[in-house]
Amino acid sequence: MIDTHETLALSVVPIAQDLFTAMIDGEPGLLTPEPATLPVVDPVHAWVDIVGPAHYRALVVTGRATADRLARALLQMADDEDVSLEDVQDALGEVANVVGGNLKGMLPEGSSLTLPVVDVVGPTATRPADHEQPLLWRGDPLVISLWTPKNGEEL
Amino acid sequence: MKVLVADDSRVMRQIVVRTLRQAGFSAWDVVQAGDGAEALAMAQSEQPDLVLSDWNMPEMNGIDVLRSLRAAGSTVPFGFVTSEGSPQMRELADSEGALFLIAKPFDADTFETALRPHFR
Repeated sequence: MIDTHETLALSVVPIAQDLFTAMIDGEPGLLTPEPATLPVVDPVHAWVDIVGPAHYRALVVTGRATADRLARALLQMADDEDVSLEDVQDALGEVANVVGGNLKGMLPEGSSLTLPVVDVVGPTATRPADHEQPLLWRGDPLVISLWTPKNGEEL
Repeated sequence: MKVLVADDSRVMRQIVVRTLRQAGFSAWDVVQAGDGAEALAMAQSEQPDLVLSDWNMPEMNGIDVLRSLRAAGSTVPFGFVTSEGSPQMRELADSEGALFLIAKPFDADTFETALRPHFR
């Protein structure tokens, strides 16, 4: 029997690497898994929920400076160009959206994806994530974590 | 040629426009909509030759935009650019009359492959 949670967890890195290669870096190898989570300075959180028969949350966390670089990379802006907070939120939200959308595609039919939420404060959590994937993008920490409700818990 | 790009993410709209250019469709005029309701209104008022729409948008989702256009008699070519590319969504898009569904992440080759059979 396929373990859905494990399959989703194992898919986080390839999904994120495909996204960064195709749409952010234009080349592979700049987003790499890390064995342990490094501290994220001045964190920004972006998340989407998969709701319906299957319920998951995909949360992306990175530092504000890294989120700025991500937005510049997505928009193909120069390193010293000013990027608006709106574009930074939009860009990090799209990263969460693409990760969540690709994970949803691996689940049984009938669930839907919420619009991304981006905030300096993350979603309320009373326990650790079901899966946490530390990553490094161009040397900066970025963490993608997955949650699924347990025993009637609300995410 | 005029293309309507609909996505609630301004960043994503810019990426779609850039990728269109990179895929060789640089001569197309582009108009943009920031949600589904605006996309439906602009698809009717702007008379585009192609609609490229996100699926998951505020106000009205992309599949309902397509359904509303078809219900109103519009035959405008319509393609999805979305983070969700499951077989079920592809089947639904196809059954409602979409030409193609491009799943994010994408690159210029993805656009070229999806659009070139329909647009020269």
